[in-house]
Amino acid sequence: MKGDVYIASSTDKEVLEKAECGGVVTSLLKFALESKRADAVLAVKARDGNRYDGTPVLISQPDKVIETAGTLHCTSPNIARYVKEYTDGASDLKIAVVVKPCDAKAIIELAKRTQVKMDNLILIGLNCTGTLPSVKAKKMMKEVFGIDPTDVVAEDIDDDRLVITLADGTQKEKTLMELEEQEYGRRENCRRCETNIPTMADIACGKWGTSDKGTTFVEACTEKGANFIDAAISAGCISIRQPNPEAVQLRRKKDDAAIQSAKQWQERDFSSLKQMSSDERFEYWFGQFERCIKCYGCRDACPICYCKDCNLEADRGLVPPGEVPPDIMFPMVRITHVMDSCVNCGQCQDVCAMELPLSRLIFMLNRDLYDIFKYEPGVDIGQLPPLRTVTEQELSLSGVDVAF
Amino acid sequence: MDSFKPKIVGLFCNWCSYRGADLAGTSRLKYAPNVKIIRVMCSGRVDERLVLKAFALGADGVLVCGCHPGECHYHKGNLNARRRITGLKPFVEAIGIGKERLRLEWISASEGPKVAETVNSFTQTIKQLGPSAFNRRRNEH
Ligand code: SF4
Ligand code: SF4
Ligand code: SF4
Ligand code: FES
Repeated sequence: MKGDVYIASSTDKEVLEKAECGGVVTSLLKFALESKRADAVLAVKARDGNRYDGTPVLISQPDKVIETAGTLHCTSPNIARYVKEYTDGASDLKIAVVVKPCDAKAIIELAKRTQVKMDNLILIGLNCTGTLPSVKAKKMMKEVFGIDPTDVVAEDIDDDRLVITLADGTQKEKTLMELEEQEYGRRENCRRCETNIPTMADIACGKWGTSDKGTTFVEACTEKGANFIDAAISAGCISIRQPNPEAVQLRRKKDDAAIQSAKQWQERDFSSLKQMSSDERFEYWFGQFERCIKCYGCRDACPICYCKDCNLEADRGLVPPGEVPPDIMFPMVRITHVMDSCVNCGQCQDVCAMELPLSRLIFMLNRDLYDIFKYEPGVDIGQLPPLRTVTEQELSLSGVDVAF
Repeated sequence: MDSFKPKIVGLFCNWCSYRGADLAGTSRLKYAPNVKIIRVMCSGRVDERLVLKAFALGADGVLVCGCHPGECHYHKGNLNARRRITGLKPFVEAIGIGKERLRLEWISASEGPKVAETVNSFTQTIKQLGPSAFNRRRNEH
């Protein structure tokens, strides 16, 4: 049933050996293919064994799924745009997709815009407290940890620490605080992200709430997810037991702590912007926008920017062609078009050739708009973008400000 | 600063405020001459692009006027405008244009005096704020 929770592990020996935390995700993916509930699975794999270059892979053979076992923390492939661009929004392919919370939210926002066929997807979510930008992560391995980045065989983030495991089995760790004070550590959008358990996906998997290694805490977040888990259990792909109340409590506590930390980062990042005077803000942002080289990377990466016929294209008459930096309408329109639905995935900022703090601004605006419209992007597929959706009830509000 | 003559762009709905402005004119109501009124078929036509383009081209303030809720000729165009303008304010504030420079008002065709009052009070607000950051930047360069 929706809402059910389990402590689970894989029953597949090969999977158990290779996977972290009980191999549940890998086994669920295999089951999806074997049971023909999915035509393909979409997961992330290290490209040629390079942990800093995770690439989305679409797999249709059950025995290949194992190649995606284990979690990569130093890479953040754009899963939502992959689904939209390369599978035509899953229009005629059933796909089981492994998602971080931001991937799930981005896919849901795309589904609201009819760019993704939700009926064809099953979202298998992973708990996430952040990923690291790959280039900086490599530098961090060398300069802060004093190791060769290619020696790393696993990373993990837990209890505000980054733990890395080397090929010879030794482990090294540092607190996120220590790393992030030195501008290393997680991507800045991840530091601000309050969604650690992907309850908007069909299934949420993670190790919070498990005490013994080799198990995963699993929550069925939708009916679809619950049916899927039931079938996987009946087929003997995963074994389960009920978590005790302490385990549930522990999971909640870890989530709460991560949420608090995210809120502190939001406060820190946003207040430095908000404390500037109006003139300082103008100088700051227009100084940033003047560095833009109009590569369109931010638009192409953003899951909210889905338009076939984008306003920012040269033939639309809004932004004159052939100018760098582009006319000021370029950043202003890009930002205002997505700010109500930004899922803080950080993809725009990751790809920006000029390293503009785009997601910091856009997600800050999103939180401002949340306070007004109470719209939480990427959570409820029935809730539509607040700057584009009016309701009958509003006819009786007479004021000029929207106040709910 | 006394010499500052604010440039205000008014985006007025054809069916209500634009007629209200006509009425103000034929009733010989005096009001500040700073507003360049652009007629739109409905306040629902006003999106972020019109507002931001006005600022980018040198408006010190943007005044959007539409029919009262329940009276829009296209039923909910004005409600769209209300959401968009409400939602744009945090943006214009965040990038240093200032949210006081953007105002939405409901003015019906019979509310000539309200056109005069609104324009006067908005002009006053903009006078106090001074030239917009865009214009100051332009003058400096
Ligand atoms: S604006 Fe940036 S952070 Fe927000 S959804 Fe788009 S790509 Fe993600
Ligand atoms: S900038 Fe606006 S028009 Fe262009 S893709 Fe994004 S949302 Fe669509
Ligand atoms: S990614 Fe950066 S440089 Fe490229 S268009 Fe966007 S803001 Fe400009
Ligand atoms: S017709 Fe006047 S606001 Fe829609």
